[in-house]
Amino acid sequence: MKRRKWMAELPVKILLSFLAMLILLPIFWLVFSGFKLEKDIISWPPTFFPKTVTMSNWHTVKARIDIVAYTVNSLVYAFGTSIPAVLVNALAGYAFSRLQFKFKNVLFLLFLATMMIPFQVIMIPLYVEVHYLGWLNSYAGLIIPKIASAQWIFLARASFDGLPGELQEAARMDGCSEFAIFWKVMLPLIKPTCITIFVLSINNCWNDLLWPMIVASSSRMRTLANGLAMFIGTHTTEYGPAFLCAAFSLVPMLLLYIFGQRYFVEGQVSTGIKG
Amino acid sequence: MGMRFRRIKAYWNKPEHAAYLFLAPAGILLLVFCILPLIASFVISLLKMGVDFRLAEFVGIDNYRKAFQDRQFRNSFWVTVKYSLIETPLQMIVGITLSALIARNHLFNRLIRSIYFLPVITSAVTVGILWQMLLHSNVGLFTYWIQRCGLGKVNLLNNPETALYTVIAISIWRSFGISTIILVAAIQNVSKDYFEAAQLDGAGRIRQFFSITLPEIMPSVWFLVMTRIIGSLQVFDIIYTLTNGGPNKSTNAMVLYIYQEAFTKNHNMGYATAVSEILFLLILVIIMLQQYVMRKTS
Repeated sequence: MKRRKWMAELPVKILLSFLAMLILLPIFWLVFSGFKLEKDIISWPPTFFPKTVTMSNWHTVKARIDIVAYTVNSLVYAFGTSIPAVLVNALAGYAFSRLQFKFKNVLFLLFLATMMIPFQVIMIPLYVEVHYLGWLNSYAGLIIPKIASAQWIFLARASFDGLPGELQEAARMDGCSEFAIFWKVMLPLIKPTCITIFVLSINNCWNDLLWPMIVASSSRMRTLANGLAMFIGTHTTEYGPAFLCAAFSLVPMLLLYIFGQRYFVEGQVSTGIKG
Repeated sequence: MGMRFRRIKAYWNKPEHAAYLFLAPAGILLLVFCILPLIASFVISLLKMGVDFRLAEFVGIDNYRKAFQDRQFRNSFWVTVKYSLIETPLQMIVGITLSALIARNHLFNRLIRSIYFLPVITSAVTVGILWQMLLHSNVGLFTYWIQRCGLGKVNLLNNPETALYTVIAISIWRSFGISTIILVAAIQNVSKDYFEAAQLDGAGRIRQFFSITLPEIMPSVWFLVMTRIIGSLQVFDIIYTLTNGGPNKSTNAMVLYIYQEAFTKNHNMGYATAVSEILFLLILVIIMLQQYVMRKTS
């Protein structure tokens, strides 16, 4: 009986594995190609594994673009956005969930409405605004407009909704200030949600292309994503270095995914957007 | 002074007052960097404006009129609609099928799910160069494998006939992990009792899927369809890195067109904003449709 069931599931398993290969093979191929000689990349028939393993692509990358600066910019953009994003949005989510105040419903609807404004629609006025603030090609211009997000506010709000009300009351009895209740009692209790927001926000910033392309286009301020896009655009004949660069930019996200897979999945399931 | 300070502190420490302080940081940021730009966008769309914002000139609805007369715009509009209408249903079929197959929790399924989610965390630039080269007409590995399968030497991304479909396929490759994982969660939330009852009635797995699973996960499916449509109307980075709108503008979706008009060569900020307003309208229609459907089903 067990054996028959196993046999019946075999075609399904083969199909699923085939699809998995369709994802893994290209990614492995990308990494391998970063270590191929240029002449091996452009030879026919193409090969999956490198014929000779070379580090020369890395030297080309370093000669062509300032990859260290781009990496630093990407890190600053990702962390500079995500850390304040967790605090600012959790704070607002907490107010909507646990506090009673005038105009709560109106404000809530207003916050909700911002979720329906696509970034692509406001990017030009946003560019104009950042230009007027004198923030073009600066970290401030890259980071500050991206911190607040209704999506994260609602995620935090939903988590706070799940906490018992007595905690808040007990802390208030003990003479805690409202901020201390949030900071010391309530926020630690929704740590998984904070990590989810942090992880997804890091991933969004690291892979973001459009906004850095618009406000951080000077060669000094480029992030890895738009630096790589420019590199591919201007040096179309140098494939090896481009592959190596792409593989390089993939590594931090892979590590984040390996250690935080649970948060990626939870975040996607509870917000259900992006892409 | 100390007294006054204490009174201010006491005032703001009341929950009903503290709430405004808590909302202030996010509220101000959203106001300045989301709502204000939206209002500004309506104004800018009525201006003829270049890089120098002081030289802007009021032109009324000319930008909108110009858009509808412009062949490039109409092309980008139809490319976007076509992209959206093909990508979303295909993505749903893939997502629903796979989620039904890997919903149960055991080692093999968990592993498969982790792998399927991998492209989701990969940047569009990486996906772009990856598939550009795999499908390269002269040196692409997939081109070679396809040829070895006896299907001839294809040139998928550089052919105006096939480029859009190829981009759609790659977009699905990149994001089906999200749809699948969301639907897996939905399936796991369906009560086990239903399946047990169905099993007692002698319903097979396929019958169970169509009579129980699918109706039960329909709200999630609807939600996904809507977010996918809205997301695909805004498609930019994957097309930018794969084809940059080519060949022959056959993949030049609306946001690419907006980007080109506003930030490369001409800097037609006013005109580009008018185009983005049309996109906004399109998205609002979808959102309203979503509200309508949700109200009807609940």
